[in-house]
Amino acid sequence: MHKFSLKLRLMIAFSTFFVLIGSICFLVSWFEAKESTDEFFDSYQMALARNLASADWEDVNHSVLKHTNFEFKNIKNAQDDDEAIGFAVFDLSGNMVFHDNQNGKNFSFKGYTSAFVNENVKGDLWRIMRIKSADKNHIIAIGQELEYRSDVAWDLTEEFMLPWIVGLSVLLMFMLMIIEREFRPLKKAALQIKNRKPDDLSQVQMSGLPKEVLPLVDAINELLQKLQTLLQTERRFVADASHELRTPLAALKVQLEVLQLCLDDKEALNKAISNLEQGLLRSAHLVEQLLTLSRIENLMPDFDDAQDINWKHHTENILNDYQTAIKQKNLRINCDKLTNKGPISKANQTLIATIIKNLSENAVKYSPKGANIDICSDDKCFEIFNLGVTIENKHLEHLGKRFYRPSGNNEKGSGLGLSIVKHIVQHYNCDLSFTNVDNGFKVRVTKQ
Amino acid sequence: MRILLVEDDNLIGDGIKIGLEKSGFSVDWFDNGADGEEALFTAPYAAVILDLGLPEVDGLTILKHWRENGLKVPVLILTALGDVESKIIGLNKGADDYLGKPFSLKEVIARLNALIRRNSGYVSSEIRYKDIIFNVDTKTVYLNNQNVVLAPKEIALVEMLLLNKNKVLSKNVIEEKLYSWDTDVSSNAVEVHIHHIRKKLGKDFVRTVNKIGYIVED
Repeated sequence: MHKFSLKLRLMIAFSTFFVLIGSICFLVSWFEAKESTDEFFDSYQMALARNLASADWEDVNHSVLKHTNFEFKNIKNAQDDDEAIGFAVFDLSGNMVFHDNQNGKNFSFKGYTSAFVNENVKGDLWRIMRIKSADKNHIIAIGQELEYRSDVAWDLTEEFMLPWIVGLSVLLMFMLMIIEREFRPLKKAALQIKNRKPDDLSQVQMSGLPKEVLPLVDAINELLQKLQTLLQTERRFVADASHELRTPLAALKVQLEVLQLCLDDKEALNKAISNLEQGLLRSAHLVEQLLTLSRIENLMPDFDDAQDINWKHHTENILNDYQTAIKQKNLRINCDKLTNKGPISKANQTLIATIIKNLSENAVKYSPKGANIDICSDDKCFEIFNLGVTIENKHLEHLGKRFYRPSGNNEKGSGLGLSIVKHIVQHYNCDLSFTNVDNGFKVRVTKQ
Repeated sequence: MRILLVEDDNLIGDGIKIGLEKSGFSVDWFDNGADGEEALFTAPYAAVILDLGLPEVDGLTILKHWRENGLKVPVLILTALGDVESKIIGLNKGADDYLGKPFSLKEVIARLNALIRRNSGYVSSEIRYKDIIFNVDTKTVYLNNQNVVLAPKEIALVEMLLLNKNKVLSKNVIEEKLYSWDTDVSSNAVEVHIHHIRKKLGKDFVRTVNKIGYIVED
C-alpha cells in the first residue's frame, strides 16, 4: 500500500468501504426480507388451511375432482406465479380425496404434523403444513414452493437496496471528486518543488495549501533555510579557500620561474630551491588545515565518540613534538599548574589533541627567543600564557576567524589554526578567549 | 628601470625581486603598506607592483592616496581576488593594469614593460632612434640592424634615455632610477655605463650636458 499515492489510497479505501457497507446492508436486507416473507406466507398458508379445515370433506372423494378452472385471464394485475401455492386433502388412511389440481396433487400423506416442514416435491423444495379438518377425519396439507418465497424476498431486497446503491455510488464519486480537488494545491506545490533549480532554496509558498499539510511545508521550509545557510557557508568556504590557495600557488610559480632564471647562479639557485621547498610546505600545511576545518565544520558526528581526557598527558605529548623549536628559541615552558583535568572531561581524543596542538604550536611559533610560556589547566579552564608577546587590541576580536592573520609577523601560517580550535571548543560548549594581560598574551578555553 | 614592489608575502616578493633584477630592473621591495606608500613619494620609480591584500593598509587605499597626491607612476596590481568586479574596482581607483594570482613572472615583466613604454608615450614596443632600434619587451638593441650586446644596466640606461628623449637626465636622477636602495653605487658608475654605451652605439648617441647630465636628442 505504501507504494501508492495518498490520493489513490484514499480512493481505494473509500471504494472498499462503500462496497463493504453496501454488502452488509444487502445481506441484512436479504435476511430481513426473507424472514418477513416467510412470516407473511406462513400466516397466509395458515389462514388458508383454517378455511379449508372448516369445510365439510365427508362426501368428497375422487369423483369430485374434475377440472378446476385456474384461468386468471380476466383478473387484472394477476401473474401466473401468484398461484405458487398448493393444497391436498387426505382421509385418515392416506387417500387423497381432494387437491387443487395443480401442485397439491403431488403432496404426500404424512399424517398430522404440527409444524411447517420443508419437503422435496418432484425436485422442488416446498414448505408444507398439515392440519386436521374440523371433523377430525381428514388431513389438509397446504404448501408453498420455497423458490417462490425466495424470489419475492429477492425482489423486496432489490427494490429496497437500489436507491441505496445509487446513493452510495453518487456519494463515492462525489468524495473522489473532493479528494481530487483538495489534492490539487498539493500537486501544484510538489510540481513547484520538483521543477526547481538545484540552487533555488527559496521558501515553498504556503498559500492555498490545506491546513493539515502546513506543518510539513513548515518543516520543509525550515530545512531549506538550513540548507541555504549550509550552502552559503560552503560557498564562502570554497571562495575563501580558493582565494587563500592562490597566494601560495603564486609563490610556487614565481619561485619556479626564478629557479629557471638562476640556473647559472648556484647561490641564487640554492635559495630558490629552498624557497620552493618552503612554499610547498606552506601549501601542504594550508591544504591540511583546510581539510581539517572542512571536516570539523561538516562532519562533527564523525567525532561523536567520547572518552576520558587527560589534559596533562596530551599537552606533554604534543610539547614533545616541539622540543627542537623550544630548544632553538630557548623557551621556558612552565607546566606546574597543568593538571589531568580540563574544561572538557569527555570528548574525542583527536579533537582535544588538535586544540592543544594548535594552541601550543602558536605559542612556540610566536614567542620571542628566551620567552616564558605558562600552561595550566583545571576542571573549568585550559590556559596558555605567552609572556612577552602581545597582540594589538584591534586584532583580538578577529582572532579565530577563518584566514585571519594579524599583520607584522614573519611566521607563515594558514590563518586557520585558531578557527579550527574555535569550532571544536564551541562544539563542546566551551568558549575560546584571547586577552593581553601583564605584558603577555593569554589564550583560554573555558567551560560555558 | 627602478620598480617599486609592495608585497607582503615573502616568497612572492623575493621571487619577483630576483626575477625582475635578472631582467635588468632595479627593485625596491616593501612588505608592508605604510613603507611602500611612502617610498613612491621619495624616489623616481618607472612603475609600481602593488599587492592588494596587504596587512594593515589595503592596497587600494594606498593607490587612492598616490593618485590623490598627483603621483602618476603606472601601477600594476597583483591580487588573489581574480573576479571581474575586483578588477573593475582596482582599475577605477587608478590602477593601470591588473594581474590575478597565480601569475607568471614573464607576464609581470611583459606588463611592466608595456606600462613603462605607454607611460613614455610610445605605442610600439620598438623605439627607433637614428640607426638604432631598441625593443622594450625583449630589451635588445640593434645598430644598423645588427644586434648589439649590452650589460643589463647599460640596457636600462639606454632605455631610460630613449624613453626620456630630448630631456636632460642628471647623474643623480639616473642613479636613482637605475639602482635600488639596497645597492652600493660607486661614484662614477653612471660615467662608466655611458662610456660603454658610446663605445657600442657610437659617440653621438648621447650628449653630455654641462657635466651634470646626459641627453639623447633628435
